[in-house]
Amino acid sequence: MRNFRHSGILLSCLLLFSGIAAAQKRTVDPATGAVTWETSMHGVALSLTQILPDQARAFYLNRGLPADATEIYANACVYMTVLRNDSAPGVVHFRQADWSVVSGGESRPPLCVESWFERFQAHALSKSATIAFRWAQFPAEHAYQPGGDWNQGMLTTGLPAAAEFDLVVRWDVAGRSYQGILKNVQCAK
Amino acid sequence: MWLAAATKVFLKMSNARNDLMRWLGLFWLSLWLVPSQADLPPLTHNLTAVAEPSPAPALRLLSMDDEMVDIESLKGKVVVVNFWATWCPPCRREMPSLEVLYQETKAQGVVVLAVNIGEDFDTVFPFLGSVEPSPNFPILLDRDSSSLSDWKVRGLPTTFVVAPDGKLAYQAVGGREFNHPALIKQLLSLME
Repeated sequence: MRNFRHSGILLSCLLLFSGIAAAQKRTVDPATGAVTWETSMHGVALSLTQILPDQARAFYLNRGLPADATEIYANACVYMTVLRNDSAPGVVHFRQADWSVVSGGESRPPLCVESWFERFQAHALSKSATIAFRWAQFPAEHAYQPGGDWNQGMLTTGLPAAAEFDLVVRWDVAGRSYQGILKNVQCAK
Repeated sequence: MWLAAATKVFLKMSNARNDLMRWLGLFWLSLWLVPSQADLPPLTHNLTAVAEPSPAPALRLLSMDDEMVDIESLKGKVVVVNFWATWCPPCRREMPSLEVLYQETKAQGVVVLAVNIGEDFDTVFPFLGSVEPSPNFPILLDRDSSSLSDWKVRGLPTTFVVAPDGKLAYQAVGGREFNHPALIKQLLSLME
């Protein structure tokens, strides 16, 4: 009986840990070494994929962003972000300003596109570079219909290379608040 | 492995200070920013019906063929308006399916307009040549991106379907599989 009870506890622990493991997945792209963290909660899928500094440099230099501005951005801990409403109970509405990057006991939202343009004021961005930069960022606010509305875009934390953080993503569906967390995400080295 | 090789080539070019080669290297390297297809989420084929259909916003732009296209003149047809850019991975993924949709429905009165945001002819043209099947529908150039605010677009790609009466009927945020039979049937039902 005692053994049976211990087996039950062990089984419960295994199920719990397997549940945690299934809740967040970490994969490494063998070609680039870039790491992806992904999870799904309340019918919403979220993933962050490291954009390595060389990749960010190549992308923005090729689109006319000045080299000095590109250098600042490329070292700001950049991620390709995907958020998708697969099967939430309604329209998913979010504002990036409500999200939190939690690191070293501090919490703040991801860097917004307007804050980037403030930083770039001295760098004389061309019109086409400004448009490409703005629209390549993950939307500051959006509403996704169930059944597959989604976006893919860049998100920056502003943390230094190799820093570790949790990303808390918040949204609402019909006035009810939800959140999902990606834990122990690392900035590219 | 590919990225490492590309980076080495890029660094060699940078050391050589050959500007032309450096920019070509950057273009080449930037392509690796797009993850492989296997890493990307699957495209769905759902379109969301617009709850309270209102007249479509104005859209009047020059096409790649230097022809002025005005959505106002397309009343009586189903018009698919897709906002996109060459650097947008889901836009690149869905472009071939838009061509299939166009080929399968043009005889029945469906028009596809792809509005490129902020890029010029010399950037868009080579990309279109790399798409298989290559688009035959009009590609409109919105160099100052003003159409995005008119259509209340918040992210790329975003696609709207305008009914024959000129009102917004459906919309889709993010990449879609436009050649899916269910989606094509949904569009053609607007012609009935």
